[in-house]
Amino acid sequence: MAEPDDKELIQQVAGGNERAFLALYDRYAAQVHALTLHILSDPMLAEEATQDTFLKLWSRARLYSAERGPVLVWLLTITRRTALDRLRLEARRPTLSTADDPDDFWRVIPDSKTTSEESRWRTLYLAVQSLTPDYRQVIELAYYQGLSQSEIAEELGWPLGTVKTRMRSAMEQLRRVWGNP
Amino acid sequence: MPSDSEHRPFIENISAYALGTLDAEESSVLEAHLQTCASCRDELAAYRQISGGLLMAIPPKAPPESLRQRLRQHLPSAQKSNHPRRTWSFNQLALGFAVVVLLALNLFSLFQMQSYQYQQAKLTREIQTSQIALAMLAYPGTQSLAINAPSVSGALLLDKDRSIAVLIVWNLPQLKNSQTYQAWLVNPQGERTSAAIFDPDPDLPFTSVSITSTSELSVFSSLGVTVEPAGGSKQPTGQRIFRIDF
Repeated sequence: MAEPDDKELIQQVAGGNERAFLALYDRYAAQVHALTLHILSDPMLAEEATQDTFLKLWSRARLYSAERGPVLVWLLTITRRTALDRLRLEARRPTLSTADDPDDFWRVIPDSKTTSEESRWRTLYLAVQSLTPDYRQVIELAYYQGLSQSEIAEELGWPLGTVKTRMRSAMEQLRRVWGNP
Repeated sequence: MPSDSEHRPFIENISAYALGTLDAEESSVLEAHLQTCASCRDELAAYRQISGGLLMAIPPKAPPESLRQRLRQHLPSAQKSNHPRRTWSFNQLALGFAVVVLLALNLFSLFQMQSYQYQQAKLTREIQTSQIALAMLAYPGTQSLAINAPSVSGALLLDKDRSIAVLIVWNLPQLKNSQTYQAWLVNPQGERTSAAIFDPDPDLPFTSVSITSTSELSVFSSLGVTVEPAGGSKQPTGQRIFRIDF
């Protein structure tokens, strides 16, 4: 018997099905936790943010609709917001994450055996890793630390125009490498 | 359609807007432009693919096993099963057992005490009755009226003027728990007045009973004893054991 897809599971969660909730947890806990750890750079805070994210999934499942995109994207959007809120709550200074410790599998350039979805994310990961340090820094501070361009300029001591230029160049490079699907 | 030069300031900000990092004022200006510019909306959609992808472009890392268990404890089924259940420690159980034992011992002691009090009261009554009987035997005006019945014997010590009498009966049979003996004073019109309710002492061969009356005993013509339901009756209902005429 085929396993239910994400949309079937989220509908069941909305109806209070705990088994469906745990199935989604088993399916995506590693990705949610990786994102919280990347943003918070603290295993204990990351674990708490991961727990908060899944509790939000339990309580807000009925708010999901297919127009919001894939369930995983919706879940990771909640994850990012939860982790950034926690970051502000802790009043921590932004840090460039060093928490990533991808296994060899993730480092290898995808080949024909890799599934299309997985291949896409690993390609984007490699594209981000291939950015120059300055470019990568602005992407990290903007997206994974939640800073505005003005805050990034202040944080790094760069002119605002330099931040804007480097951010735009970094995004254009990712677009070229990763491209439109 | 806006020219390239008109688009330029907006296009430069679209990638930052897709990352959610554009300052508030510039965001408002761009959002107003997006309402009217389809090509910029397409541009934004392309960059949103990248920002959405960045959410998933982090190498997966499994959380500790304990997190799954903690989450389960937040689910309604775990909350329900946790609330009504109460765990008792060994000390609490031991304390509870001790309280029950002490309560049982107290109840037993209370029962014993009431039993002793009852026996003491009964003994006191018997002693009083015996003293009255002895006193009456020594009194010159006392009559001794013999019981004339086939199975029992004894006498009624009677002083009509003093309204005092003591009934002494030998070999009175024991009754069921639901029964009792009742003595009746009978006047010449045949009316019965309850004079005593009693049970024979199983440890003694005779039974002594004080007969009391609110009227002088001289107004009565006889005394009868019947078997009645436990607690006595208002009027005789059971078998008569004997009668003594005054």
